[in-house]
Amino acid sequence: MLKALKVARREYVATVRTKGFIIGLVLAPVLMGGGMVVMLLTRGRVDTADRRIAVVDRSGAVAATLAQWAQRRNEQVARSPSGPRRPAYVIEIVAPSDRDPMAQRLELSNRVRREELRAFVELGPAVLHPRGDTAAAHVSYHSQNSALDETREWIGGQLSTLLPRLRLVEAGMDTSRVPDLFDGSAAEPRGLFTRDPSTGRVTDAPRRSEAEAIFPSMAVMFLMFIMMMMGAVPQLNATMEEKSQRIAEMVLGSVRPFDFMLGKVIGGVAVSLTASGVYVLLGMYTLTTLGLAGVLPYRAVAWFFPFMVLAVAMFGALFAALGAACNDSAEAQSVSFVGILPMVIPSFMMMPVLLAPNAAFATIISLIPPFTPIMMLMRLATPAGVPAWEPWVGLLGVVLTTALVVWLGGRLFRVAILMQGTPPKPQNLVRWAIRG
Amino acid sequence: MNAVEIENVTKTYGPVVAVSDLSLAVPEGAIYGFIGPNGSGKTTTLRMILNIIYPDGGQIRVLGETMHSACTDRIGYVPEERGLYRKMKVREVLEYFGSLKRNGRLRKDVDAWLERFDLAEWADKKVEALSKGMAQKVQFIAAVVSRPPLLVLDEPFSGLDPVNADVLRQAILDLRAEGTTVLFSTHDMNVAERMCDTILMIFRGRKVLDGTLSEIQDRYGADTVRVRTEAGAAALENLAGVDKLTDFGQVQELRLDGTRDAQAVVVDILGRTRVSSFEVMRPTLRDVFVRIAGPEAREAAEAGPRTREASHA
Repeated sequence: MLKALKVARREYVATVRTKGFIIGLVLAPVLMGGGMVVMLLTRGRVDTADRRIAVVDRSGAVAATLAQWAQRRNEQVARSPSGPRRPAYVIEIVAPSDRDPMAQRLELSNRVRREELRAFVELGPAVLHPRGDTAAAHVSYHSQNSALDETREWIGGQLSTLLPRLRLVEAGMDTSRVPDLFDGSAAEPRGLFTRDPSTGRVTDAPRRSEAEAIFPSMAVMFLMFIMMMMGAVPQLNATMEEKSQRIAEMVLGSVRPFDFMLGKVIGGVAVSLTASGVYVLLGMYTLTTLGLAGVLPYRAVAWFFPFMVLAVAMFGALFAALGAACNDSAEAQSVSFVGILPMVIPSFMMMPVLLAPNAAFATIISLIPPFTPIMMLMRLATPAGVPAWEPWVGLLGVVLTTALVVWLGGRLFRVAILMQGTPPKPQNLVRWAIRG
Repeated sequence: MNAVEIENVTKTYGPVVAVSDLSLAVPEGAIYGFIGPNGSGKTTTLRMILNIIYPDGGQIRVLGETMHSACTDRIGYVPEERGLYRKMKVREVLEYFGSLKRNGRLRKDVDAWLERFDLAEWADKKVEALSKGMAQKVQFIAAVVSRPPLLVLDEPFSGLDPVNADVLRQAILDLRAEGTTVLFSTHDMNVAERMCDTILMIFRGRKVLDGTLSEIQDRYGADTVRVRTEAGAAALENLAGVDKLTDFGQVQELRLDGTRDAQAVVVDILGRTRVSSFEVMRPTLRDVFVRIAGPEAREAAEAGPRTREASHA
């Protein structure tokens, strides 16, 4: 064990001394934080040019009001001297062509291509009464990037208010008598009420936000993934190089193969602990300084370190064993998916788990050991949290799986590390791991 | 007492028998040479002595103990394929490998060895900056810096220029003089002849020679005539009583088949050309090696009953 620690120390020092590690340690939070700041600063300011939208209204009832509303919006929002510069929406009403509608659509499309227009909107003749003829009630928005065009969202929002209002007017109702007729009421997201055990009083339910629900889970997921990438994945190429450069045999003259592999794994864990310690402390300090300490998922942070140590050990042993079986970087690249895949799969299941963190699906997925470190932490970081027993059961599963992977990896490592020229075929890997 | 004792050790890789029923004893304080063709089982045997790979059968005792991992702390090892961490500094890599076998500060020993091998100014340079010969010397230092009583060297002289080979040879002799047992494999028969107290030859996984150079040569007797003639090898063809002619260019060696006296053969040669010099001698180690493992011996072995054994290093 002492020798494993000596190997670990070398691995650790060799990694943390590299410029890549130091730069990565500083650069990662700077890039992530900087990216968020840039995103916040530039939100809505990237494209502030006025947007001209042609409206072909075949119903003849909508376009004029839409143009008025756009004008009003521009005065309030886009032309406001106190507010930030925002794009104005300029509605150009185009008389529909009954003779050749397709030619008109092509001409408008060409105007969009020439950037004379941002988009054109076509309203069907029956847009006010869609139940009679749904085909004639269509509303279509045409632009270069229509699916992601925020102007389309604005048009859609206006029409959803304007069309019901026009229908009421047509029915003879005076909508001015009910000015708040179409004012919406969104349900404010709040948590649950609790009783303060010290005072006995029922405390107010905290307000929740989408960011609060998603950000901590995303943060712990990415942090765990990055730590595995830093501490575990490099074992693949490092071991392959030690084998191909014949360093391994020199080390094995002094150290048992299992201790050699264990030392490498412990070194990787130490690297991850260093980096994650820096990131977690930095993150906590930043959020506290910004007055956002409330969004910190303390319970997830407490569980982060044991899960991370085990995850890096589990995947580190796997990658070291795979690296021992490879003879060159091409082979290492081809077998890397064996370890990368179980690390990436949790990200595919992120959204369903975040939307229902305590559903059966999320519970089962987070108790499958290779996924547990990421999935359990994601669930722990949600405002709903998880039942107290689940992290313990998950931890037990990960402990047992890590022990199994390290044991099997050690057997594979011992056989493969001196095996030159034998490719890492699946049957070879299985045979070496089982027979030792 | 023997530093290494191997009894009836066998190692197979699937259907390939790398080492078959091998027994040997390396006396303490001796220089013991392993020779044999490529793939004959030398490296496999050395790795088993190091406990890097395990024998399928038989027993290995090193420095009085049945092999287990702790024994390797007392063995210095230079593998055939050289490998050092290229990004580490020379002194760091030496301290690291030394620390894997010995606790305590190694700085003084490392610096003394670097000085001795004329590498002191390279101590703080990265390994990747070293020439091949320098790296080989660093590798040797890594093996000896922990002061092991047993040193195992796999092809220690390969790739070294004569000057560095001399430095290394002298270091090995000095270590032996201090009591270190040295076990090394080599393809250089001259080195084996000049340095080894005992020589062992493995061929196709089996021991075929084991003894001092004199004992080995005695087995074959004075059956070789070395001649230097005016006409060269052309004049030596089809001599009666000669089993084999080996042409070295300036000198030719004749192996006698035992039917005629060496003097009679020389008289025949004098009848064909002028003789500058001749010497009746015992076979060199190289000649013995070729007799056992050369193409003729291989053909003879293959003509006989086929065995399951094959070579594997």
